[in-house]
Amino acid sequence: MSTRDLVLSALFAAIIVALGILPPITLGFIPVPITAQSLGVMMAGVVHGARRGTIAVLIVLVLVAIGLPVLSGGRGGLAAFAAPTTGFLIGWVFAAFVTGYLSERLVKSEQSALVQTVGFFLAAMIGGIVVLYAFGIVYLAVAAQLGLAKAFLGSMAFIPGDVVKAFVAALVGRAVMVGYPLLPVRS
Amino acid sequence: MDIRFEGAGVSYGARVVLAPVTLQLTEKRVGIIGLNGSGKTTFARLINGLTKPSVGRVIVNGRDTADAKAILTDVGFIFQSPQNQIILPVVRDDIAFGLKSRGYKPAEITTKVEAVLQRFSAAHLADRRAHELSGGELQLAALCSVLATGPDILILDEPTNQLDLKNRCLVQRLVEGLPENAIVISHDLELVADYERVLVFHEGNLVADAPATEAIRRYKEIASR
Amino acid sequence: MKSLFVEGNSAMHRLSARAKLLALAALGVLLFLSANLLLLALAVLATATIYFSIGLPARSALARLKPIFLTILVVALFSLAFNPWHVAVVALLRLTALMLFAAAVTATTTIAQFIDEITLLARPLERLGLLRADDVGLAVGLVVRFVPEILGRYQAIREAHAARGIKVRPTTVLVPLIILTLRDADNIAAAIDARGVRRHVNLRTR
Repeated sequence: MSTRDLVLSALFAAIIVALGILPPITLGFIPVPITAQSLGVMMAGVVHGARRGTIAVLIVLVLVAIGLPVLSGGRGGLAAFAAPTTGFLIGWVFAAFVTGYLSERLVKSEQSALVQTVGFFLAAMIGGIVVLYAFGIVYLAVAAQLGLAKAFLGSMAFIPGDVVKAFVAALVGRAVMVGYPLLPVRS
Repeated sequence: MDIRFEGAGVSYGARVVLAPVTLQLTEKRVGIIGLNGSGKTTFARLINGLTKPSVGRVIVNGRDTADAKAILTDVGFIFQSPQNQIILPVVRDDIAFGLKSRGYKPAEITTKVEAVLQRFSAAHLADRRAHELSGGELQLAALCSVLATGPDILILDEPTNQLDLKNRCLVQRLVEGLPENAIVISHDLELVADYERVLVFHEGNLVADAPATEAIRRYKEIASR
Repeated sequence: MKSLFVEGNSAMHRLSARAKLLALAALGVLLFLSANLLLLALAVLATATIYFSIGLPARSALARLKPIFLTILVVALFSLAFNPWHVAVVALLRLTALMLFAAAVTATTTIAQFIDEITLLARPLERLGLLRADDVGLAVGLVVRFVPEILGRYQAIREAHAARGIKVRPTTVLVPLIILTLRDADNIAAAIDARGVRRHVNLRTR
């Protein structure tokens, strides 16, 4: 891994950590504030692509594991992995990977702004919701003995919020690509 | 010190960033001046191997820069931006980190860290967090980190660019007193005003190579065109 | 950023990081193999005793666990609505015992010790060419180093918004925050390479 890749990933990990510390930001048309840390995970994928995006999220998990309170709310340490929602935490890695993988392949520089944004939105939805929730729900079902159906039911309430986040991630991802492209291009 | 440029130049595709240069640097103090984009930073980065020549070669103290690992022990590099050089949260750890990666044992590391802090009267910065330091203090910390590993050539790329007057004077005094060989790129002409040799770059070419007074005169000529 | 390590001289403090991590893993396996309410209740008691004996004042000890325990509780209550009661209690006890021991390990192991363990674990991966083991410590250091800078940058962007009478929105704030932060990467990487810190890396020209 080149030094530049390492630094880019570490800096984005730092952004994800900062997002856990900063107060939630309100989206104009919806009065509900967006808690930004999981948004950060989606953005890791749309900004950096699969490889660096995944490494950034892995670095965040290492920080949690070694005892730094970097998760929103000041959570951290190995105890954070004892929660029944740990599947969502571990799922972050795969979410960033899939979001990044799809971003690299769906979004091209020749496309119009709208098409690019839709591409990023799809990538963020599939990675940040479908894949993430798969891990979260399965772990919830097993570790908390909830059973798949109930775990699924319980998690549904959070999906609308995450759809909004996917939308924000798409807008941000596209704007960053225009201002400072870092997304590897793969066909 | 013995730095030889043998027809060394840098191009990116068709764009010539630095036209081939042939010269030898042995002076204790060498200044490099020129407008932005003149190729002066590229020239300096060829010396420590951060940038490799597209043509020709650069030999530093007998070693070709193409062999990257060997160079870095001889040549230290101080960058413009104070905050991007301290990479660990606490100054002391940052200084130690460079030594650790060179394979020094913990006891040796502690000795060397203390020694370099003493040398620059920077002991008061040792346990401070980088985030809380001023630009000048950061450059001071960076000097400690880079010189802790004992390079005998130090390149400084516009070291006072982002500093206020007080810190500029501080860094100027520090550079003056360095026993190491120093190659200084600077927009601040005062910094290099009494150097025995100053190189002037313009649009990728070396246009003057003379003692400071003459070189600065030539530079002002070019800049006012 | 304050770490969750707490100074002290308890038995847990004196154990090696590796021993504690192995014990945690073993505990996890054992907890999930058993569905015996009594055993699990005893496990909670034992791990609680360990956790509260490491030297943390009771208030902060409880405060640390609050968010995590709350999640465990909420999920257990949810489970209660659909499952036989002892299934929910088993889950509650298992996760609580795990949480307590994990928190005890975190509080009695320094960051440096953790990084040493991870670096050791990563060495075999080094041979596979996947990563450099020492990069773990460097990555952690870089994050802790630059988080305050990013927070400062956020404040600066917010102030600029206020000065121009613009409302703070994700796109207007996050975009410059990300771009300005990532733009520094090249300079930071150059400084790292110039110090020869990642010695076995091939230096590129650009």
